[in-house]
Amino acid sequence: MGEFEVHRVRFFGLVPAGVRCMAYQHRGCRLALARTDGAVEVYNFAANYFMEKAIPGHQTRSVEALCWAAGERLFGAGLCGDITEYDLERLHPAYAVDGFGGPIWSMAANNDGTQLAIGCEDGSVKLFQVVPGGVQFEKNLDRQKGRVLCLSWHPSGTHLAAGSINFIRVLDVRSGRTAQRIMVNYHVPKSKKRECVVWSIAFLSSGTIISSDSFGRVQFWDWERGTLQDSHTVSTSAALSLAVSEEEDSIVVGTSAGATYQFQLLPVKTGGQEKRWVKTKPFQHHTHDVRAVVHTPTALISGGLDAQLVIRPLMEKVQKKSYDAVLRKFTLPHRRLVSCARKARLLLFQFSQHLELWRLGSTNKTGKDGEVLPLSRMPEHLLQLKSKGPEHIYCSCVSPCGSWIAYSTASRFHLYRVQHEGDNISIKKVPGVPKLLLPAYQLQCASDSGRLFIASDRGSVHVVQLLEPGGCKHLHTLRPPVQAGLCHHCTVPTYSCAVTALAIHPATNNLFISYSDQQVGLFEFSIPEKQYTAWSRSVQNSGLHRLWLERDSPITHIAFNPKNTSQILLHDVYMLCVLDKSLPLPDNNALLVNQSTLKQLSEPARHRQLHAFKICKKFQPLLFADLLDERCLVTVERPAADINAELPPPVQQKKFGT
Amino acid sequence: RRRRQELFTEQKRRKLLPEALLQELAAAPLARAEEPSPAPAPDKRPERGSAKQRKDRIPGQVKKDKAGGTRSKGNYIAVHLKDGNLTGLHQQTAKDFIRDQLYGPGTNRTSANEFFSTANKKDPIKKAAVQFVDKSWGLEKKQRAAKFTKSWVARKMTSTL
Repeated sequence: MGEFEVHRVRFFGLVPAGVRCMAYQHRGCRLALARTDGAVEVYNFAANYFMEKAIPGHQTRSVEALCWAAGERLFGAGLCGDITEYDLERLHPAYAVDGFGGPIWSMAANNDGTQLAIGCEDGSVKLFQVVPGGVQFEKNLDRQKGRVLCLSWHPSGTHLAAGSINFIRVLDVRSGRTAQRIMVNYHVPKSKKRECVVWSIAFLSSGTIISSDSFGRVQFWDWERGTLQDSHTVSTSAALSLAVSEEEDSIVVGTSAGATYQFQLLPVKTGGQEKRWVKTKPFQHHTHDVRAVVHTPTALISGGLDAQLVIRPLMEKVQKKSYDAVLRKFTLPHRRLVSCARKARLLLFQFSQHLELWRLGSTNKTGKDGEVLPLSRMPEHLLQLKSKGPEHIYCSCVSPCGSWIAYSTASRFHLYRVQHEGDNISIKKVPGVPKLLLPAYQLQCASDSGRLFIASDRGSVHVVQLLEPGGCKHLHTLRPPVQAGLCHHCTVPTYSCAVTALAIHPATNNLFISYSDQQVGLFEFSIPEKQYTAWSRSVQNSGLHRLWLERDSPITHIAFNPKNTSQILLHDVYMLCVLDKSLPLPDNNALLVNQSTLKQLSEPARHRQLHAFKICKKFQPLLFADLLDERCLVTVERPAADINAELPPPVQQKKFGT
Repeated sequence: RRRRQELFTEQKRRKLLPEALLQELAAAPLARAEEPSPAPAPDKRPERGSAKQRKDRIPGQVKKDKAGGTRSKGNYIAVHLKDGNLTGLHQQTAKDFIRDQLYGPGTNRTSANEFFSTANKKDPIKKAAVQFVDKSWGLEKKQRAAKFTKSWVARKMTSTL
């Protein structure tokens, strides 16, 4: 196979934003997630938990509540006081309706998805109707002093429970009046003279209200009588989030200390009628505040300020013991944030509001397998390019020669020309950038740095020619169905899962696709012949190895070896793989990760055991991996410890002996 | 009352305008602005160039109260912004509330460094503390040491001379 010199890059200072709120859509098995920087992501649970859509954030946007309504429509509300509907096809906020109540703290949709209730800073609860094409203000319910921090509809849609500071209110939706007011700051430990903030609330169909407050208590109230049925103290810090299952027999609570607890409604005596809420399972998956939890029929999902999304399937709901029952933690985004300029040996890092250009270091020593070589020249931070405006950057790329940088935000596209003069570097904006249908979802530079391909809205691809002294010219726009000029070659047969990475081999013109569903992980499609290649068919026939199918993270980048057409480099978060198409495929009984065993075998034995998947798990967690030339690889890692060092302050946990 | 008004506008103007501008407008406009003018005098404000900070002044009241003589060359922009200060204030109050509730006094918070360092030390496999070398540690000691060295060297010099 060969030896590679690996440039191990760990200076990409990516710190993902924390998870602020989540909303689950049962019908489509999708989870919408909003982060503290205003970004909204949609995960498809049916397709191996792949993040299929990502709406980039905004400097002034803060999303405090998300909900799905009227089927597939996603609404968000935040501290700017607007209700925003997100256009999931075009990946941007479609419109915003002012709530006129100040910052909106909470939003909830009723069971049918026809009405939205918002809780505002001034203490009012407002009702909006979801109509096709927008939301319409319906009426104002009773207003009382104190910000409404959480809202919950009764499943029948007749009453609303609103949690505030020191009290909970139950409102009658039809008349708009307060039917019940419950004070929650009784039974407070004497040492704490703070106010009791009700962080989240749930209304069950039996008339029980469950509230979680800032003293770390989960309390069960009878709303008609206004009495406390049960109270559990789960933590010394605040209990920030609460979610109820659809059958209403299990709830999950998230706390500030990073712990989540499950409560279940269990009969007091086996087979008896009387039931009680009992704290059953504690989990400590997070290190920081758990601000959002969701209870799906088979799993508990929690998202915290440590930027992790944790999905914990419940063992009793899992039908058979398979890879579905495993705990999943997602920290790094499922998108490519690094571009590599192969010839110039530059890396472009995409942050949310700026780009960084680095030159890789070099060494002039050689060594054996596994040795760390000393650097003769350190990696250099060449350029930091701040994005103009409050919007976050959606995608970026650098040309292979390193002289063009392009990036796109939701409303603007920028192209820059970079001049390298010895050790100095200067950058100039390219004027006259063509008017494109924005936003641009993907940017790709041709390997000869002559053209830039921009994939944007409504399936159109713009081809822009990059001219030498620093200009650009719009060549064509490809739109489906495509018109004459550049002929449309063929259509790849569609598959039900999302594509995570795709690349075209420069020499053979084969399209290599990786899907999010690891079940049928890889496809190779020959563009000239307009059909799947023979290799691809043999892979599908023999099936992929069991361990390959059980990978957690999607493949985000595919690269090719320009000298050897049968070698393909793939990577996901935990492994790097060089696929050699000329070698046989492994069957299920063979060892998949066999590089270390192969090294110890003799030549003939090695030939017998060699197979196509050469996997390296040395570099983890990987953000990006690429082939610079025949002997050189570059890997960009982001160790979890480095992310942890940049996180906000967590709650101190007293451990014995410290 | 008029004299008080004058005093206030004078103080405000002095506080707001940079020296250079004042010198430029020294001749005629200065004499004019000293006149008692009961209307508020925000006329100089757009010329500060940071109209953003004066959003709550209703721009309609800006009066062009100059002699028309000296006019500072155009390195300013007068911008009429959407009246966004009230929502900004509400948002800021809301953010302060969240910050106080989560990170304010009474919440038992520690830095990420300490948290993960204790976790590393209590692990079955002990590891080093996160950010072992923090430049801000022992700053005082380092400063005192530097001062002592200086004074010691000075003493040595005086004793040898």
